[in-house]
Amino acid sequence: MWRDTVLVAGKDLRIELRSRVVMHQVVPVGVLVLVLFAFALGPDRAPMAKAAPGLFWVAVLFASVLAVQRSFAVEASDGARDGLRLSGLDPAGVFLGKSAAVAVQLVVLEVVLTAGVVVLYGSHIRSYGSIIVAGLAGTAGLAAAGTLYGALAAGLRVRETLLPFLFLPVAAPVLLAGTRAWQVALGTAGNVGNVGSAGSAGDPWVRLLLVFAAVYLALGVVIFGPLQEAS
Amino acid sequence: MSYIDAGYAIALGVLAAYGAILWRRRQRLERAAARSGGRRAP
Amino acid sequence: MNPTDTEVTPWSPTATWVVRGLGMAAAVAVAATVWLGLWVTPPDQAQHNLVRLVYVHPPIAWVALYLAFGVAAASSVLWLWPRTRSRFWDRLAVSAVEVGTVFTALTLITGSIWGRPTWGVWWAWDARLTSTALLLVLLLGYLAVRRVPADPDSRARRSAVVALVAAVDVPIVHFSVDWWHTLHQGATVLNANLSPTIHGSMAWTLLLGFVAFTLLFAWMLAIRYRIEVLSERLLDSELDVALHERWAEGTGPVAGEPGGALASTGRRA
Repeated sequence: MWRDTVLVAGKDLRIELRSRVVMHQVVPVGVLVLVLFAFALGPDRAPMAKAAPGLFWVAVLFASVLAVQRSFAVEASDGARDGLRLSGLDPAGVFLGKSAAVAVQLVVLEVVLTAGVVVLYGSHIRSYGSIIVAGLAGTAGLAAAGTLYGALAAGLRVRETLLPFLFLPVAAPVLLAGTRAWQVALGTAGNVGNVGSAGSAGDPWVRLLLVFAAVYLALGVVIFGPLQEAS
Repeated sequence: MSYIDAGYAIALGVLAAYGAILWRRRQRLERAAARSGGRRAP
Repeated sequence: MNPTDTEVTPWSPTATWVVRGLGMAAAVAVAATVWLGLWVTPPDQAQHNLVRLVYVHPPIAWVALYLAFGVAAASSVLWLWPRTRSRFWDRLAVSAVEVGTVFTALTLITGSIWGRPTWGVWWAWDARLTSTALLLVLLLGYLAVRRVPADPDSRARRSAVVALVAAVDVPIVHFSVDWWHTLHQGATVLNANLSPTIHGSMAWTLLLGFVAFTLLFAWMLAIRYRIEVLSERLLDSELDVALHERWAEGTGPVAGEPGGALASTGRRA
């Protein structure tokens, strides 16, 4: 299974490296969302800085829908989907591989958006450790759940509108927990009871992100195979 | 109309309407099934 | 393959009798609940007449969040599990989801109506309301996936996965929103009064309410299930008829067995 994972992840990332769709289209959309929010909330930076954690994760969520759609669009032509199914690769491996590729792309996006938030909204990062851990955990969850739903919607003509409608509600806990974790890391949390180290107050949220990721990775591994049999 | 009356009315109204919709859909389907039962492969 | 899959048989006399009985019992129980709830039972110390909504809102919530959702999730799992797979579970799942959607929407509406005079707001982002709202969206997602034209097996597969993902997500959402609130001082005010102390005639009426709406759910589930069976068959036989008419157009009266050809032509996603 792990070998197949690496194989599929490698394939997807190589396609991305050559076509650069995510870098040139999805990441700019993410940054654009940040800019649009500035139009909505500005011009004073204070409300933006306060809302920054949430805005970051909303931008990530929308971009992840695009990233997942792209992940399955690369296989839409020339019967590649059937090819993948018949290739004898372990479906769990295919799932993990595609999730990994999406996750890598999302991490790149998040680095750019983090810089964007610091520059555009004037946020100050107090704890890089929490940001990184929360980001990775949240990304893993989004990639897993997104890939699962992406597979479900792949090949359907209504996939562009169906995928966001299915995926975004499921991703809501990541938005919630990610925002809280970021608030602690950025020091904008305000109502958190004890002013301990930034790390400890954000801990429960990071744990929730990890649980979410674990649950959806496990679910995907189990259910991806049976799901692929849907024509 | 008070809040309580509105609440009861809406809850029961929606359930009654949905129940009626289900009932009618089923009636029509049963009738259609009975008819097309005789119209399968010649 | 299951013999009942190839033909629509009317319900057996026992089944008809049971369903009819359910329907009548439900109607009577609901009517009794309304009568007791609105007129016979006394107003509450704290909430006065507003407490009357407790005979309607919690039972509807129980049906939506636990009964319907539970049946939908369990049926989906049973369908996905190869050893227990059967058309029955898929049909039961969609029936539970559809009826459950109606009940979930009503949970939100009755909750909102109760909340307005009690808390002063039509809506609050507490754990229960938020999870219920999210559940409604997830159920609508299930129904949307169901609408996509596909052969029954693929459709069942996709729907079951959606149900499973939802079943896993709702507890996570509930937990996270709950947490969100306990860390956020201001919200404790809202957690107050939706559970008044219940005794005497109020307790019995509440129990009756739960029974009544459960019976109603069961009846609706049965009817919706039957609708699913019938519409599947109708779709197949309509396709049959249409294809025959088409062949007759092209080559004159058709002899022979076209049944096998249907399997491949009828199955585009």
